[in-house]
Amino acid sequence: MPRAKPDVEHAIEAIDLVRTYRTHLGVFRRRRLDVEAVRGVSFTVRPGELFGLLGPNGAGKTTTIKMLITLLLPTSGTARVMGHDVVNETTEVRRRIGYVFGGDRGLYDRVSGLDNLRYFAELYGVEPAEQKRRIGALLEMVGLTGREHEKVEGYSRGMRQRLHIARGLLHDPEVIFLDEPSIGLDPIGARELRRTIQSLVEAGKTVLLTTHYMFEADALCDRIAVINGGRIVAHGTGADLKQAVGNRTIVEIETFGVTPDQVARLRDDPDVIAVNTEERDQSEILLVQSEHGLQITQRLLAALGDTRVGKVVAREPTLEDAYVHLIASTGETDGAARAASVA
Amino acid sequence: MSSSLRAARLIWFVTWFNVKMLLTSEFFILLTFVSPIIFGTIAFFLWRVGGQTEGQTLLYVALGAGMMGVWSTTLFGCGGAIAWQRWEGTLELLVNAPSRYDHILVGQTFGAVTFGFYGVGATIAWGVLLFGMPLEATFPLVLPLGIAAAIISLGALGMLIATTFVLYRHANALGNLLEYPIWLVTGLLVPLATLPFWVRPISWLLAPTWGMEAIRGSATGSEPPWLAIGMCLLLAVVYYVLARVALVYVLRKARRDATLSLQ
Repeated sequence: MPRAKPDVEHAIEAIDLVRTYRTHLGVFRRRRLDVEAVRGVSFTVRPGELFGLLGPNGAGKTTTIKMLITLLLPTSGTARVMGHDVVNETTEVRRRIGYVFGGDRGLYDRVSGLDNLRYFAELYGVEPAEQKRRIGALLEMVGLTGREHEKVEGYSRGMRQRLHIARGLLHDPEVIFLDEPSIGLDPIGARELRRTIQSLVEAGKTVLLTTHYMFEADALCDRIAVINGGRIVAHGTGADLKQAVGNRTIVEIETFGVTPDQVARLRDDPDVIAVNTEERDQSEILLVQSEHGLQITQRLLAALGDTRVGKVVAREPTLEDAYVHLIASTGETDGAARAASVA
Repeated sequence: MSSSLRAARLIWFVTWFNVKMLLTSEFFILLTFVSPIIFGTIAFFLWRVGGQTEGQTLLYVALGAGMMGVWSTTLFGCGGAIAWQRWEGTLELLVNAPSRYDHILVGQTFGAVTFGFYGVGATIAWGVLLFGMPLEATFPLVLPLGIAAAIISLGALGMLIATTFVLYRHANALGNLLEYPIWLVTGLLVPLATLPFWVRPISWLLAPTWGMEAIRGSATGSEPPWLAIGMCLLLAVVYYVLARVALVYVLRKARRDATLSLQ
């Protein structure tokens, strides 16, 4: 299906966006604390593009999105959506955007899903003659047809998330912001959501997506920006980002009861670039990055001593490996907000 | 659809939705349906102990008790509803919708206030059934006008109060604080003449004073209701303009301080 070509060069344009939150420490001796959540974020998204914003919790993804959808004022910097300034042309921006935040909040629980959609259709200015058809089509699209008369408080988390998506698309927006939309969805629901996102892009919509699921970003996004510590640390296509670890091989070692000392010994090996650990139910998967592939396997296994080892597999790096490398190399692995000053 | 027609439709729809939402709250139902009857019963007995049992006096008491309930409903329906929306996470969506937020607030507040006027009817019926109150209005044709003027002025005041709830997440404490003092200073509980003179200027600035005067004047004939009706409408305009001005400041400050999503 052809993508629409609106008459603006950039659907989304962020230039040096900075956002500082002011909070307080202490009860009796209150001190002001300025926290820099976003520190000079710049990027552009072309019309009809699906752009991914990846980063750990607290990296500044949601704050960036909230500035772009006019919910927050930037502390400095500028941003435009479909050519309209997000600070001074809020109504023009709001008419053109839809947004969906992951999570349970943002719905009227005590009335039905249909009541929620009818209410928001009015608020978003959907023409009365159009409302019934539009709501029906969206219910069908998100798989809630037949359940729309039930109270939202009885919906499962996945149903609530799908209702959120229907709400965000009610007024047929040109630009859609999806902030971790697959949170709480089961694998089938998440797959349907990916299909929905793909169909939105095919219909000419511009989508900005944040997600923690790397395979989702890799499969969907035209371009990706990785944000950490309030700054964009890398951007490009999924293939571009993988180039950061392109000359490496990942050796996956399944272990049963590996100790932190043994992992540290692996890291000390001069040919090992990085080691990450994934906890499984009864085992651990050690992801060892090196430029030597299986050639150093014997040395790695020796470093693990008498730890029981299961499968050992070598593979090409994925977007997730590139992401972990980028986040680790920027030094703020927890992505926590940064205290700028205390007064 | 023209913009004014769209605004009218939006206000009507928000009013309807807000009434529907309020009806799903057991607390609101209790507040709206039961509390005016309790207020009325207490007031009837108090006035009876004081030897005031004439028909017109009982009607005076019933209307005052009913309006006390209306004021409680206004505070809960306007301010409490916003606190609830904040908790549900829908406040951000409403404020950030392309529709004008003052239109949304008008619908919310008038939904609550109109519904609250059930309390006036309930206390009158209670007075007739249990206390032998005669049911006759001196200006029966003007009475609906008085009630409408009271609804409009209380709704506009509710909208002005609601703006503080948008800005401050703990503003419902202010709402609770406003309930009893307003009953007193606006003459709902006791006649204004019994209050110190310095209270009068405060009461003149408050919609329930004139709303009460308009309804009592129409019903009991104690005074011609026209001045009170005029004051209701004048105050409604003043409150609305103040609320519009305050909203510009409040919404910008909320975007600057990131307070809309705080619970």
